[in-house]
Amino acid sequence: MSCYRFFSVSHCLIGLIAFILLFPVPGSAAPLRLAIVLSAEEGAYREFGSELSALLADKNVTVSVTDADNALPASDFVIAAGLKAAFAVARFKPAAMLAVLIPKAGYGKLLNDFSAQIQSGTSKFSAIYLDQPIKRQLDLIRAALPNISSIGVLYSAPPMELGALRMIAAAHKLVLNERLLNSALPLHAELQELLAGSDALLALPDAAIYNAATIRNILLTTYSNKVPLIGFSPAYVKAGALCAVFSTPEQIASQSVGIIQYYVATHILPDAQYAKEFEVTVNEQVARSLGLDIKSASQLRSEIGTTK
Amino acid sequence: MIFSKFRMLLNVVTLWLAYCLFVSMPLCHAEDNFISEQAYLQDFPVVLSASRLSQPLSEAPNAMTVIDRAMIQASGFRTITDLFRLVPGMYVGNVSGHDTVVGYHGVSDQYSRRMQVLIDGRSVYLPPFSTVDWEDIPLNIDDIERIEVVRGPAAGSYGANSLQGVINIITRDAGSVGGLQISGNKGSYGVADVAAHMGQAGEILDYRLTLSHREDNGYGASILNDGLFSNQANLRANYHPLGPDSFDFQLGYSDSRRGLGTAGKVDDLFRDVNATSGFQQLTWLHTQENGDETRLHFYHIYRNYIDGRFSSANAIAPVTQLTSADRQDLELQNTIQLGKSNRMVAGLGVRSDYVKSPDYLVVPYAIHESRIFAHDEWRIDSSTLLNIGAMAENDGLGNTNTSPRVALNYHINPQHTLRASASVAYRTPAIIEEYINDPGLTPGQSGTYVSQGNLRPEKIQSKEIGYLGEFSSLDLTLDVRAYDDHVSDIIFYDPALTYWPFGFANLYSANYHGYEGTLKYHWNDSNNVIVNVARQFMSCDATGTLTNPGMIAILQGFMDGCLSQVPDYSGSILLTRRLPHNTQVSAGYYFQSSLTMIDAIPQTMMNRVDFKLTHAFGVYGKPGSGELALVVQNVFQDNYSNYSLISETSNLAFGRRAYLSAAYNF
Repeated sequence: MSCYRFFSVSHCLIGLIAFILLFPVPGSAAPLRLAIVLSAEEGAYREFGSELSALLADKNVTVSVTDADNALPASDFVIAAGLKAAFAVARFKPAAMLAVLIPKAGYGKLLNDFSAQIQSGTSKFSAIYLDQPIKRQLDLIRAALPNISSIGVLYSAPPMELGALRMIAAAHKLVLNERLLNSALPLHAELQELLAGSDALLALPDAAIYNAATIRNILLTTYSNKVPLIGFSPAYVKAGALCAVFSTPEQIASQSVGIIQYYVATHILPDAQYAKEFEVTVNEQVARSLGLDIKSASQLRSEIGTTK
Repeated sequence: MIFSKFRMLLNVVTLWLAYCLFVSMPLCHAEDNFISEQAYLQDFPVVLSASRLSQPLSEAPNAMTVIDRAMIQASGFRTITDLFRLVPGMYVGNVSGHDTVVGYHGVSDQYSRRMQVLIDGRSVYLPPFSTVDWEDIPLNIDDIERIEVVRGPAAGSYGANSLQGVINIITRDAGSVGGLQISGNKGSYGVADVAAHMGQAGEILDYRLTLSHREDNGYGASILNDGLFSNQANLRANYHPLGPDSFDFQLGYSDSRRGLGTAGKVDDLFRDVNATSGFQQLTWLHTQENGDETRLHFYHIYRNYIDGRFSSANAIAPVTQLTSADRQDLELQNTIQLGKSNRMVAGLGVRSDYVKSPDYLVVPYAIHESRIFAHDEWRIDSSTLLNIGAMAENDGLGNTNTSPRVALNYHINPQHTLRASASVAYRTPAIIEEYINDPGLTPGQSGTYVSQGNLRPEKIQSKEIGYLGEFSSLDLTLDVRAYDDHVSDIIFYDPALTYWPFGFANLYSANYHGYEGTLKYHWNDSNNVIVNVARQFMSCDATGTLTNPGMIAILQGFMDGCLSQVPDYSGSILLTRRLPHNTQVSAGYYFQSSLTMIDAIPQTMMNRVDFKLTHAFGVYGKPGSGELALVVQNVFQDNYSNYSLISETSNLAFGRRAYLSAAYNF
């Protein structure tokens, strides 16, 4: 269990003990009643639910899977997949909930909206964020495009992670060009201006700017300016972004198992955390067309996996 | 001059209404745009699919010159044809201010028939002369995204008549223009251009519309009537519902009045030509999840050219020459990824050309061409790329031709690439060459033309080796090649009796070989230079049979002079330097040693320098921003001579000229 990066040392030790304890000593304890609540019975939510159920099949856990529109089954521990599920579950005041497939900003809103119930000790919440840590994203940019000196970001409101982004970009010797989108102006002019001074554009999960209706023109504009777009999901790379780092539902499910085991052993929920395991994907056709001599996805994955 | 024809207006209005109905602002106004996981989980269709991605030089199966927007802006040129001065081995000659001859590796007459010219996949190489009337193309130079000039035959990828090369013009995407920009040029020699570019990118519909006017006095010489007065409209719209399909719709219209005539020439009186042309084009692109795509492409072009040759009061008889052409073309193309290292493009197409020219052709002609093509790109390993392709066509004149090409690109390492390629391609005889019957009834005409028909297509066998060095750490690219092209069955004037009438016959073959190179260097973040050099050699052999063997001495005379049809040396240097305060200075140097086109008066050496100073203001692309520029062409007044068929105009100099250019974004 390679937990050295995102758990503290003490958490690691406790986790290890928990791992040993949870491992089958038949009849030693009542099984954990686990509810998996999905925002929707489809796509990544379903993949996550299936994978987690499979991973827990031989553990001392009874699993019930439901969706966010149904009542919460009787349970000791709830895993909520997606923002909708997390909010729905929180209203049932569960003893412990792990939110997954949820961005850090979404989890922040959850904590804010249910702060009373957390402070009173009624509920314990934790999360595995769907976002990748900013450092990991910039490590990818550095590994994929070692010669660039600036990156651009475009947002409709300053993102929560902006401070970290500025700091880590500076540490990577990357000039960060920021544009706050003034909605009175067309996206195109802002983007053109930003691209004129940027070697790459880092897409942010800002739904006002990056959505199904705008992605086409963003990609065409970046491409015609010979500026690669760095995405944050495989869909971006399929559409035409140069590369992205992301975690799959399976990887998040695997990390969830560790947290469940830790909770069983200690009744403590670890702090909300980023996904430990991740993958890199590269659009080789776009890279070639832009004249970029980029490393393979597996090379990039192993390179950023070793950066501290 | 009627600018807005009803049909075009109707099209514009229809599209505008569609836009107003379907488009809303691209931005939603969620309270917090970062909290939902949907941004991470949502799926998108493939946007940058194979047909949208340009091929990098290191992977191209041909030598290729790319002229991008930065080069267009730095050059200061206001006509599309002048841009080809930036291509090594390309000849750009002016018969008059608005009649330009563009040819690669020499031309055998002013129609320059050996290159295909495509605009967004639409062939503007039109019958009956099988040439491109550059002034007729409803395309403003500012709407060009880039021009890819393929140097060498490429029928497997670009279709019929891609003989010595292909000019592939890619226009700006429908969603690439935001707001409204008004621009104009005003300067010497009557230069007075104005253009309005407007557009918007929407959720499901993007459009851009350009209305432009261009005007000048040509050479401004009293011996030549060569003024130009041209109005153009160009609309591009893209409807892309949120899925794998997109529909690109384009239409354009051009209406020009140009001066023609040479003082003192009774068969070339001063008069106006009215040329109208237009096109409609629809492309359906369907992209699959794995990147495979299907593209269905239809276009229609029409062109009417009315030469008021003898409508002048001085004419012997009032005769107006009308030449009209109409083309419809439909093509289906599939791009299929065959495993990780192999991609195939294959398709088929049909084309119908209809030509009416009562003065040259006894009856109108309809020619139906059909073609199938396939091209495979195989990455044998990480350093070796093999391109194999072919096109088979029935040219509608009774010829079936197969044009294969094979090219091997070998990356010694990412910086160094070697390329070797061999190809065969054909040029279909022009309708005029095959069918002309001009008995010389037009008053003052010095001779008659009667074609014997049964022409074979011209054939090229081309071989080349190339080297590309891309030194990204130095910001330097070096692209050189050596080529050896053999063109056989060249169609040429066939003097039938003592001299007149002329027909056309497959009379000679020519060998072209030489070296070409391009060096690009960018330094200190603000300086850029592009150097193009070509060294050309040519020889000809009479291979055909003259209708009248007694005329062999005339043909042999042309063969003997063949060597000088290409300049020994030619090239260009485009230098750009960014200065403080949003100012940029650029200079172009264009040189060409003397030459004698086979049917024209000898041309002297050219050493021309152009200069441009640009100052930008405001925030790039935003309302209130813009640009002011001063362009001076032929700064040092080099009196090089141009393409001329008659001695009276052979010494016309392209006088130094200057114009001011301004653009403002609203």
